[in-house]
Amino acid sequence: MRRAWPAVLLSLTSLVAIGPFVLMLLVALSPGNAPTIPYRLPSSLTLDNIIRVLSTESFLRWTANTVVYSVVSAVAVLLSASMAAYVFARKRFAGRDVLLWSLLSTMMVPFHALLMPSLVVIAQLGWSDTYWGLIIPTLANAQAVLLLRQFIRALPDEVFDAARVDGAGDWRMYLSIVLPLCRPVLATLGVFVFLWHWNDFLWPLVVARSDRMRTLTVGLSTLESGHLTIAELMSVATITGVPCLLVFVVLQRHLTSTISFTGSGR
Amino acid sequence: MTRLRESLTVLVFLLPVLVLFAMFRFLPMLGAVGLSLTDYHPGGDWRFTGTENYRSLAQDEIFLSSLRTTLGYVAVYVPLIVVVALGTALLLHAVPWGRGLFRAALFAPYATSLVLSGVLWRWVLEPTGFLEQPSMVLPALAVVGAWKGFGYAMLILFAGIRNAPADCLEAAKVDGASVWQRFRHVLLPALRPALFFVVVVETVGAFQVFDTVYVMTGGGPVRASYTLAYAVYDYGFRYFDIGSAAAIGVALWAIVLLVSLTQRRAFDRNP
Repeated sequence: MRRAWPAVLLSLTSLVAIGPFVLMLLVALSPGNAPTIPYRLPSSLTLDNIIRVLSTESFLRWTANTVVYSVVSAVAVLLSASMAAYVFARKRFAGRDVLLWSLLSTMMVPFHALLMPSLVVIAQLGWSDTYWGLIIPTLANAQAVLLLRQFIRALPDEVFDAARVDGAGDWRMYLSIVLPLCRPVLATLGVFVFLWHWNDFLWPLVVARSDRMRTLTVGLSTLESGHLTIAELMSVATITGVPCLLVFVVLQRHLTSTISFTGSGR
Repeated sequence: MTRLRESLTVLVFLLPVLVLFAMFRFLPMLGAVGLSLTDYHPGGDWRFTGTENYRSLAQDEIFLSSLRTTLGYVAVYVPLIVVVALGTALLLHAVPWGRGLFRAALFAPYATSLVLSGVLWRWVLEPTGFLEQPSMVLPALAVVGAWKGFGYAMLILFAGIRNAPADCLEAAKVDGASVWQRFRHVLLPALRPALFFVVVVETVGAFQVFDTVYVMTGGGPVRASYTLAYAVYDYGFRYFDIGSAAAIGVALWAIVLLVSLTQRRAFDRNP
């Protein structure tokens, strides 16, 4: 007979993991400002709080900023990193390994060390408090280059040889071999980059000087429970968190296996 | 001629990444050291002050206590998250059914942001008063960090467990080895690389703890949760002392490098 305690413990841990999200949803969906949670379940559920929050102007702006920040960054990182990864994986040129190593070495630098000088660079470019300043510095993503390079290196040589015999140049190889064959890894990586940016905090916090440049995480951090009801606060939290949770639930098998095999995603 | 064309193509493919890294990684890396040697203030004049920022930080009680606070956080957070992640990975291995569901639930916090975690737990912990007690605030922050992050470490360790030689485990079982003996002598050696990776990644991350501190405590109460990363932000954006903020950033950088190298050596020495 199998003992039951591992399953019991695992269930308890799972409850602790998702408990705060359940509480958040319940409070966001509770009618009025009924202080029922955590002592009593609400008698009915309503979308009033979420709709009220969604109809405020600055909240809409934060959401739009977050979508722009996450989507544009994901696309731009995939494009730039896959181009570089292709030549790192498939071409020979002087200084290739040194260059790759110096790109990877930047992963060891805490972002806090680069915070002040990055802001000076942004200010010199005249990008303070703009989308350029928000997005472009975060596109230098060594993890993406590394992951794609490993993947492209593992592709069979025959495919590239056959294309070369057919007279395909580098652009043809990149567009009609590398990109299509990399589709699974590009999709996973794209989701990771999307989530990193959606959840990113420090850089948007220091770049955004005005309320209209804030992202959801930055906006959420400025909200104090004093200024709005706990139901409204939890509604903002819900709208900040639910897209990530949904993306994750839909794609969890892909994402978790990528983490297990490569350790990326952090 | 073809060689020239060839090099040009390589350059074009590399160009976006090269420009991005040059402008927003390598230049700031130099800039961090450069700024830390000046008394740069926004809008004002600045001059080169040599190692003065570093020398005054060495006497600065706020900075020194932020070092101690950060070490305290690391000392609570890293064992906590490694034990929780290893425990859940082993449980996940021991329960043969519902794995997908359990894994999804356990990993869910990792998909959201530290800011959201901080806001939720600030509210959940409110009745306990932990965030107002200097002695409880670091453990509370560590619990929130571990709650958010353990799913990632768990996945890495779970993959490591599945790579453990199944026949050895089976043989040990047949020979009557206890659960602990099987863990200690068969599983743990196989898990070493994964465990090492997790410990390094989590230690380096713990030294940079910021988001939860910003959202939940603002460094308080009475600087009990004022960490190094928070000090970089505070010196830069509250005191506008960019030179010192950059110097603290460089110190954090040095610490992170030192820690990863030390852990690497410790790992290599004990096979």
